[in-house]
Amino acid sequence: MLLSDLNVGDKAEVTGLTAEGSIRRRVLDMGLVKGTRFKVLRVAPLGDPIEIVFKGILLTLRKKEAAGIEVEKTGEAGDRVPMGEQKRRHRHGS
Amino acid sequence: MSRLKEIKVALAGNPNCGKSSLFNALTGSHQRVGNFSGVTIEKHEGYVDYRNYRILFVDLPGTYSLTAYSPEELLTRNYLIDEAPDMVVNVVEGPNLERNLLLTTQLMEMEVNLLVALNMYDEVQSQGIDIDVKQLQRLLGCHIVPTSAKKKQGLDSLLDHVVRVYEGDIEVKKNKRAFRPEVENAVDTITELLAHEPELGRHNLRWLGIKLLENDKEIYNIVRQYPVWVKVELALQQAMQETERVYTTDPELSITEDRYAFIRGAMQECVKHAPGRKRSLTDYIDSVVLNRVLGIPVFLFIVWVIFHMTFTLGTPLMDGLDTLFSMLSETVASHLANETLRSALVDGVIAGVGGVLIFLPNILLLFLGLSFLEASGYMARAAFVVDKVMHRFGLHGKSFIPMITGFGCSIPAIMATRTLKSPSDRLATIMIIPFMSCGAKLPVYVLLAGAFFTPAAAANVMFAIYMLGIVVGLLSALAMKKTILKSESEPFVMELPPYRWPSLRSVLLQAMRKAMMYLKKAGTIILLAVLLIWTFSNYPKNPELDAELDRRIAAIEQTSADEEEKEQAIIEAENIISAEQLEYSVAGRAGKMLEPFIRPLGFDWRIGIALVTGLAAKEVVVSTMGTIYSLGEADETSVELKTILKRDPGFNQATALSLMVFVLLYIPCVAAIGVMRKEIGEWKAVAFYGAYAVTVAWIFSFITYRLAQLLL
Repeated sequence: MLLSDLNVGDKAEVTGLTAEGSIRRRVLDMGLVKGTRFKVLRVAPLGDPIEIVFKGILLTLRKKEAAGIEVEKTGEAGDRVPMGEQKRRHRHGS
Repeated sequence: MSRLKEIKVALAGNPNCGKSSLFNALTGSHQRVGNFSGVTIEKHEGYVDYRNYRILFVDLPGTYSLTAYSPEELLTRNYLIDEAPDMVVNVVEGPNLERNLLLTTQLMEMEVNLLVALNMYDEVQSQGIDIDVKQLQRLLGCHIVPTSAKKKQGLDSLLDHVVRVYEGDIEVKKNKRAFRPEVENAVDTITELLAHEPELGRHNLRWLGIKLLENDKEIYNIVRQYPVWVKVELALQQAMQETERVYTTDPELSITEDRYAFIRGAMQECVKHAPGRKRSLTDYIDSVVLNRVLGIPVFLFIVWVIFHMTFTLGTPLMDGLDTLFSMLSETVASHLANETLRSALVDGVIAGVGGVLIFLPNILLLFLGLSFLEASGYMARAAFVVDKVMHRFGLHGKSFIPMITGFGCSIPAIMATRTLKSPSDRLATIMIIPFMSCGAKLPVYVLLAGAFFTPAAAANVMFAIYMLGIVVGLLSALAMKKTILKSESEPFVMELPPYRWPSLRSVLLQAMRKAMMYLKKAGTIILLAVLLIWTFSNYPKNPELDAELDRRIAAIEQTSADEEEKEQAIIEAENIISAEQLEYSVAGRAGKMLEPFIRPLGFDWRIGIALVTGLAAKEVVVSTMGTIYSLGEADETSVELKTILKRDPGFNQATALSLMVFVLLYIPCVAAIGVMRKEIGEWKAVAFYGAYAVTVAWIFSFITYRLAQLLL
């Protein structure tokens, strides 16, 4: 499947790259090579671009660009309580 | 003191790795900012004297890699090849080592004299990250110096290492980091082929080979000039087939994967993260700032604050400068008897210099705000939040801030487009900024809307004018990106750096630099243009009119009216004559020449003059109309001017609307043009913009005028 098909909270691993030209190069330079595991962190308020996190890097990319990256899911949003929810559940302090 | 030995050092590193902070910490006030030749990328140079060496640092633009895709990356590697600095200090972000090492591996491939500054080492320690520096040094083949630009730690040690590398006390091993066998074979074959071309000798042949396999267009173009290309091309095709057969992938991907494999190995061997990483401050801030509901309001609020700070804090300063300059004008005027000289100095030079300086507070304040946003890490998030809207019009998320700044003043707005990396995105943004109605156009609207509409209607009219500017701007961007600026847009693949509290010093320094740049580069063009417009509106003089004025004054003196009445009559006479002088001048003739073109918009030659002089600054449209309608000094609140306009048979609501639209859309002031020329780098594009703006202005004014005539 493609990175653009993932939902917020999904975890996945990069399996291939179909993007071309400067997009391809940029994606590679940012470290999204085959085998990189990442998590979809959030979607921008207007629904595009999306933000993913891997190796401590926060990376944003448009869905259009994300559609050039092939991925395989390694975990779904339900696997673990997403960060925002966690906070709401054990609300403490300020 | 004996002469200092010079060591030339290039600083290279990723964006946000703290490279510029390190540069500032190292060189202090010994800095100078220029441009790299041929591109509008800033070149920061500085030096520090250490022992008996003068170490010159060049701060190269932040890059992730060394490909030919972005101007910054191309510039970085061309600089390393052509300028051949004594060594390269690769600044890496300690807490984010893994991604930063990609550039390091590429610098290693170039076989430059390398030294690594492991920056933000204080954060490495506070985050409990354990880096085995010794082992990493062995793997990279070069020395690594832990530094913290913020805490000013490790700076002397870095300088010490620079000297030792320079003197050969530290050997930089040219580690031949091997790629997979198929790639290595291809690299060897190609390197051997290239060795037959003596002219290529100045390059590192192995590096050329790697770059050719990476499909690098620039390097292709170099090697293609030589007869050996035929054989090289064959070897490249073979390599392509070979990697495709073995790995079902191309050499470019193989090379990048191998680099990352090396980095991953090095990380595993040398870096231990503290167990159970805590949720960082960045996570907390982002959960609010990038929240699906709060994201947009937070963004709008931050823009509002920056905007407000710039223009509310800036206006008193602007007024102060204005007062200062009028005082100066008066002083000069009262000390000069020669009228021509006086006018040239007061209305030409002082007004011109004043017109340049008056924007300075705004520029300084805006860039204080923008530098803060950039350095703190918010700017990238702002682009993330609004990218969808901007992308719809063919622009980039980062275009938004410059665009909105345009409502205050086009000049800082055009300068702020430097955050855009793709030239076509940048050009499109620059060209639509003047459509965002700037502060100087407001007096024109206030005058015209105030004269021809009721207060409530006037507010609606002004709102409509602003909206029209936005719509025309966005549609223009879309049209340009679909036609003449069709080239590939900057892909939106962008890192969000962790939030950091920026150092006051570097934010201030950044803002000061922008201000100086404006003064130095734009100042000269603007001054020249203002002087030109002054000359055009004053010459040629009609001596008969002067004689006429003398005659009238003499006649008034003869009458029996009291002193006050006489003085009043003289001022009136002077105003009438100066209106006629203006009509006689080049600007006046230009206005008359323009009349056939602007007649369909409802404008006569007098408005033509105001449009011509309005090129100096948009407020001048109002004062020129004051002169033309024989009022002397006038501003937008002038009741007389409003009354005269209302009484004038050539002027009605339709004309007023048409004129407002024209002033909104036509060419901006010469100051903005000067900055535009400076930022775009060529007159051709500026000329295109000028023609485009005038055409658009004409069409929209025409439609407005005809519609208004029908409906009002």
